[in-house]
Amino acid sequence: MLQLLREISQNYELIWALAMKELRVRYKRSVLGFVWALLNPLMMMVILTLVFSKIMRFPVKDYAVFLISALLPWTFFSQSMGYSMESIISNGELLKKVKIAKSVFPVAAVLSNVINFLLSMAPLALIVVVLHFPLHWTWIFLPVPLVALILFTLGCGFFCATANVFFRDVSHIMQIVLSGWFYLSPVMYSLDFLPQQYRDFFRLNPMLYFLNQFRLAIYYGQLPELKSIALCLAIGLLALILGYAYFRRSEDALVYYV
Amino acid sequence: MEDVVQRYRVIRERPDSLREAFTKLFRHGGVQEFEALKGVSLVVPEGEVLGIIGRNGSGKSTLLKLIAGVYKPSSGTVDVRGTVAALIELGAGFHHDLTGRENIVLNGLLLGLKRREIAAREQKIIAFADIGDFIDSPVKQYSSGMFMRLAFAIAVEVDPDILLVDEILSVGDAEFQEKCDQRMEEFHRQKKTIIVVSHDLQVVRRLCTRVVLLDRGRVVADGAASAVLNDYAEMMHSAGSP
Repeated sequence: MLQLLREISQNYELIWALAMKELRVRYKRSVLGFVWALLNPLMMMVILTLVFSKIMRFPVKDYAVFLISALLPWTFFSQSMGYSMESIISNGELLKKVKIAKSVFPVAAVLSNVINFLLSMAPLALIVVVLHFPLHWTWIFLPVPLVALILFTLGCGFFCATANVFFRDVSHIMQIVLSGWFYLSPVMYSLDFLPQQYRDFFRLNPMLYFLNQFRLAIYYGQLPELKSIALCLAIGLLALILGYAYFRRSEDALVYYV
Repeated sequence: MEDVVQRYRVIRERPDSLREAFTKLFRHGGVQEFEALKGVSLVVPEGEVLGIIGRNGSGKSTLLKLIAGVYKPSSGTVDVRGTVAALIELGAGFHHDLTGRENIVLNGLLLGLKRREIAAREQKIIAFADIGDFIDSPVKQYSSGMFMRLAFAIAVEVDPDILLVDEILSVGDAEFQEKCDQRMEEFHRQKKTIIVVSHDLQVVRRLCTRVVLLDRGRVVADGAASAVLNDYAEMMHSAGSP
């Protein structure tokens, strides 16, 4: 782990440049530019709101905000996964030629999505205001679950980026897993919608804890209990330690399979 | 500036056949092992211009990549003192949608420079590359010559203690070759260590003081350029014999 911190601090300029490049290239040719960072979840929100609050009548007030408060962090997670899975492979030619700390690639991939997420928060605030929904002071707390989520995402990212080099199926498997994971996570609904007997099963999902924190701060305007925060950070750290360990173990072999 | 280059390299193995590894995806025992280098021990002092020659598959590129730090030896050690820059295919890391200027920054960072250093050298790089206003256009619009000049300009500005060159001298037009040669001369005068891998024996003869001949992963000859090159010529002649 210390190795990771060392590599990051030595290469932060490169990581930043890679993340910037990623963002610039992502939106280079598009007319709307990075507005897409918000437009995507926004459109999802509109559709899902229509379906669940008007047509299917979920008993949730201001479903739009309820939804998007969890949708944005989820989108961060799933997009980060998508990008970091490919990060080592797509830079394969490079690391076959130049000595470079390979950890920079997954880190930069996650970083570019962090920036994306942060950018999408501003328009979110705007939407909240437009919908006459209270802008809770608890937003200030958001960096905490965000950090925990970043750790978790990095851990998963390292793991998948590495595995994907050896087994290209990982990319396809993860796409399916993420799809399913989305529905099993309290994005469109929350845990109390579910009948008691199923809740424990859903509680096994680590994303539940992260998403709840975001929703708590944005929608409910409450601060979470200390133990929930601790749990999130613990999960995040654990994921990072495990994911990074796997990466480190396989790091030297990557160059032959990429 | 303490940068003696001394290297000891011993056996290396490299798993071969990436394709095979994929088709035998979950059968872990399926990967073939192939020894690219077998017990190579080499010491290269500072300031030497070393040439590495040998047939295709003799392990030359593997050796270079070991020195560059791209590969880790399966056994033995590689001890490199000083900064290394490898001109193993220019323009690695260039992104075609970014401008020349943006790529200078990106490439410079990838090659190990800090932003400060890149900013300081930017003008020199642009001047050396000699591509005019195109510096602010996306790289995908460049001709291959422009591309290479820019990539080379950045690579040499890295100012390493040890320079590794793998076959790139043979690409590019005459003018580019000239620039390459000049820059290498300058490097040599600055007492930097240069290691060249090439099939072009003229180049090797011209530039190198010492030559190492590899064959199938082993050092077959090591000594003064002219002697080893003659050995190589002989070896190639008798290549047809069983």
